[in-house]
Amino acid sequence: MGLISLTTFFPVLGIVIILFISKKNLLAIKMVSIVFSFVPLVIASYMWLHYKYPMTGIDLESQFQFVEHFAWIPAFHIDYFVGLDGLSFPMFWLTTLLSFISLVASWNISKAQKGYFALFLLLETSMLGVFVSLDFFLFYVFWELMLLPMYFLIGIWGGPRREYAAIKFFLYTLAGSVLMLLVMLALYFNVKDPVTGSHTFNMLHMMHKSNQSAWLTTFDVRLWLYIALFIGFAIKVPIFPFHTWLPDAHVEAPTAVSVILAGILLKMGTYGLLRISYPIFPDIAKYTSYALAIFGVINILYGAFVAMAQKDLKKMVAYSSVSHMGFVLLGMAVFTTAGINGAVFQMFSHGLITAMLFLLVGVIYDRAHHREIAGFGGLGVRMPVYMGIASLAFFAAMGLPGMTGFIAEVMVFIGAFSVYRVLTIIAAFGIVITAAYMLWTMQRVFLGKLNPKYEHITDINGRELFTLIPLGALTIFFGIYPLPVLNMIKVPLNYLITLIH
Amino acid sequence: MVNEWLPVFIFMIIMSVVVFVILAGTAFIGPKRPNPVKLSPYECGVEPVGEPRTRFSIKFYMIAMLFIIFDLEVIFFYPWAVVFKRFLSGSSFILIEMLIFVGILLVGYVYAWKKGALEWQ
Amino acid sequence: MDLIIPQINFSAIAPALTVMITAVVVLLIGLFFQKVQRELLAIVGIIGLIVSLGELGRMWGKDITGFGGMVGNDNFTIAFQMIFIIAAFLAALLSLNRIEDEYVSYGEFYGLLLFALSGIIVMVQGLNLLIVFLGLEILSISLYILTGFRKMRADSIEAALKYFLLGAFSTGFLLYGIALIYGTTGSFSFKGISSYVNANGFTNVLFVAGIILFLVGLAFKAAFVPFHQWTPDVYQGAPTPIAAFMSVGAKGAAFAVLIRLFVSVAAFSTREWTIAIWVLALLTMTIGNVVAIVQQNIKRMLAYSSIAHAGYILVGVLAGNEMGRSAVLFYLMAYTFMNLGAFGVVSYLGISHKVENLRIESYRGIGYKYPFAALAMAVFMFSLAGVPPTAGFIGKFYLFSAALKAGFVWLVILSVLNAVISAYYYLRVVVAMYMQEPEEGKVFELPAASWGVGLALLLAVLGVLYMGIFPSSLMQLFQKTAELISML
Repeated sequence: MGLISLTTFFPVLGIVIILFISKKNLLAIKMVSIVFSFVPLVIASYMWLHYKYPMTGIDLESQFQFVEHFAWIPAFHIDYFVGLDGLSFPMFWLTTLLSFISLVASWNISKAQKGYFALFLLLETSMLGVFVSLDFFLFYVFWELMLLPMYFLIGIWGGPRREYAAIKFFLYTLAGSVLMLLVMLALYFNVKDPVTGSHTFNMLHMMHKSNQSAWLTTFDVRLWLYIALFIGFAIKVPIFPFHTWLPDAHVEAPTAVSVILAGILLKMGTYGLLRISYPIFPDIAKYTSYALAIFGVINILYGAFVAMAQKDLKKMVAYSSVSHMGFVLLGMAVFTTAGINGAVFQMFSHGLITAMLFLLVGVIYDRAHHREIAGFGGLGVRMPVYMGIASLAFFAAMGLPGMTGFIAEVMVFIGAFSVYRVLTIIAAFGIVITAAYMLWTMQRVFLGKLNPKYEHITDINGRELFTLIPLGALTIFFGIYPLPVLNMIKVPLNYLITLIH
Repeated sequence: MVNEWLPVFIFMIIMSVVVFVILAGTAFIGPKRPNPVKLSPYECGVEPVGEPRTRFSIKFYMIAMLFIIFDLEVIFFYPWAVVFKRFLSGSSFILIEMLIFVGILLVGYVYAWKKGALEWQ
Repeated sequence: MDLIIPQINFSAIAPALTVMITAVVVLLIGLFFQKVQRELLAIVGIIGLIVSLGELGRMWGKDITGFGGMVGNDNFTIAFQMIFIIAAFLAALLSLNRIEDEYVSYGEFYGLLLFALSGIIVMVQGLNLLIVFLGLEILSISLYILTGFRKMRADSIEAALKYFLLGAFSTGFLLYGIALIYGTTGSFSFKGISSYVNANGFTNVLFVAGIILFLVGLAFKAAFVPFHQWTPDVYQGAPTPIAAFMSVGAKGAAFAVLIRLFVSVAAFSTREWTIAIWVLALLTMTIGNVVAIVQQNIKRMLAYSSIAHAGYILVGVLAGNEMGRSAVLFYLMAYTFMNLGAFGVVSYLGISHKVENLRIESYRGIGYKYPFAALAMAVFMFSLAGVPPTAGFIGKFYLFSAALKAGFVWLVILSVLNAVISAYYYLRVVVAMYMQEPEEGKVFELPAASWGVGLALLLAVLGVLYMGIFPSSLMQLFQKTAELISML
């Protein structure tokens, strides 16, 4: 068993142990789940130290690291094939980090704790599985497996409209994955394994034109397959017309689940596009790039405007995610070095920042039991530490220099400006609007006269600080010194661009 | 072909004539003192005209069903008996087969008996 | 005229004989020892099932025929028979439920269950339409009685009567079809029909009519739309374990015959027949799924869902290739576990304090009160919906891949959409169990599950997960059997 499998399936071991703990023994359940999510973080960090930066990944098995490859369902030529490259590693590491932090942040879950922590660990396994899979079928299985814990986590531990939110989330994403399933089958029957000559689910084989059947090389077919796959991923991102499940899911989900939803799940959509759609259909990716850029700009502006209009703090943060994912799309659409690197760095950066924002919303919700922006006011007096960290997170989300968001957004703009000048200028307004609603929100929550209701509100406590400080520190660290991540992502991404051109 | 069936045909005609003659004879010669009971098709048994939904005791059905089942099974004995002797010389298989068949019938019979299907009360 | 006794080979029907003898033994034990525990009867029955599984294992790969070629066992049919035996095994365990106390006479109950199974086995083995008909009748008559087994309840009686009348009607179709086929081809055997079609094609109207009537008769048994009307009422009224067995056994047997007919008569792959079955499959799954959405009673919901699943399986039959046939086997196996499991939970949760809990609303909140039953139900629901990592997902994947391979792109797309629709109503049960508060003022107390029910549910859950995560060995086995359909 290699390091990847160990990391991926370690949480499952935790589930088994939790199932044998009495449901009365809350401390043990929480400690086990935290330990079993901490170990993957340690292993992933260890793997980072041993990461070989110059390997390109993308479409050659020999260029992947920590590869494990053996047959799983030989009848369909399905392999258990996992590996990491510069595209997946940052997301892999981020997943272990955010899972650990979310589990710490789940300390106060008050209902059916045993089930909650077990499902959360299952969620971690399935998310890690998505990022490491290099076999399309395996990818799909993990992708779908992720739905189950998420559905229960929203549906059982969520807010008042949780049933609706959970079922909406499930059906939306299921519809998306069904399209993916069809594309996957179409690819399976039209791709040959160059060694054995049989059909294959191996993504890397699918990426080589020489393995594809004649049918698969016709333009119309490729376009339709690309579009179907795109919708599948777009629902997850979510790209503008497919986004309506997101606010519902976020508002109803418990804090820790929102963190995972915004921090990891949304990135899977763009990750899927980069991992699967781009290398398999590079020509179509190029052909449709303008549309993708427009979708990106719509996401940026629409998300920002809607966020500004929100009265609910969590909904505001949720729509800001829609807006920020727009930068990823714009960066991906231009196929310049700066653009695509910026996009992937934004995925990583937004994972850190949005996790902080949702944790902060959770902190205040635990105290005030509501999230109405208008219902707060002057909290800065009573919660100075909280305000400090919140300012950091808000500034990071605005893209202030010195933090990761800035680097990512600047790279996206530099990359995009040379290709789609007008769109980039329009998109730049998104930054202004973002700054506007972020500052306005801060002003309404922290400044002004103290709402007398919150005379005795307590400041942030140690456990909450424990969840927020690492994220804040990383945001600043990678904002000043982004090279560890940029070096990692640039080799495979530059290779991907050469594939497309 | 026709010749083979000719006697049967003649026989049918003679029978019809005989029946007609007897019925006509009694109609003309016999004395007639009708009363309602005599005019009914049968003098005992079930009323010929009445409500269709008359209820029968379930026991009649039970007996009828058992009769039909066992009666049908018994029919299988006839063809068997016809060829029995010829095949017995070869092997005793044909005998064992029939014993198994009778055994199955016996199980059914025991079942019906034990369940009280044969008791009138 | 000289009579020749056809070559009789009892070992060819050993599994069916074993099951029948066990049935008689169970019947007699129940008859002579009125006070006997039903557990004992079930165990005797299960021993018989295990013995017949062993018989099948012994026959594996030997292609034993008997009775002058009227019955035959190639690996493909043996695999079918094994699935049905497992289904009967689970149904026997499920009926040990304490709350299914109202059957009164358990000897007959288990006896008839075994007779129904023997009917299925005969039907699947048959290489001859008469044998198929014989098996079908043994199966159907047993099921008519079992459906009405809760004889103190009006809905059970109604279900039995409905099933009997429609079943008899459909048997009429089937028999008329067989008569026409015999009249035109002069043969009852699949081989004879095959050579007739090879020589004459589908030119003779009477022959085509015979085939259609035969298919209609089978369609009634397998509950394809538009021949499905009886299903919800019957499943609702029948004892729950029997409904579960019917949904797998009676359906699956019809599929076995259908596949044999299609394999032996290659000309069925012509355009007209393909279109007809295409439409039938689509109608079956769509109507099953759409109507299931509005059901309030969980047994009716499962009944419509079983109609929809017949539609999915028909897609595999339509594919007509080896992959399709092995996919049908695989799916049937998966379906056995998940559907019997789901019905098992329904039967366990069925009655508390003499109040029926069959509405989906009455499942509210049981996720916390009966965590194991609810967890099992959730697994079955997700598997029926086709979500990984369950058997249902791999099974659907297998079926649809086979159909794609055969070129039925649109049918696959529509089937997949159907699977999405179905997720909605399966999830409703999960939502009720875990995400909704229990109904006001409703006392929901159940006796502890008996060992039989517990064992059956455990086996079903393990089966669903095993087939979902490690499908490979079973898949390869089925693939081999489907490649080597030797007997026509």
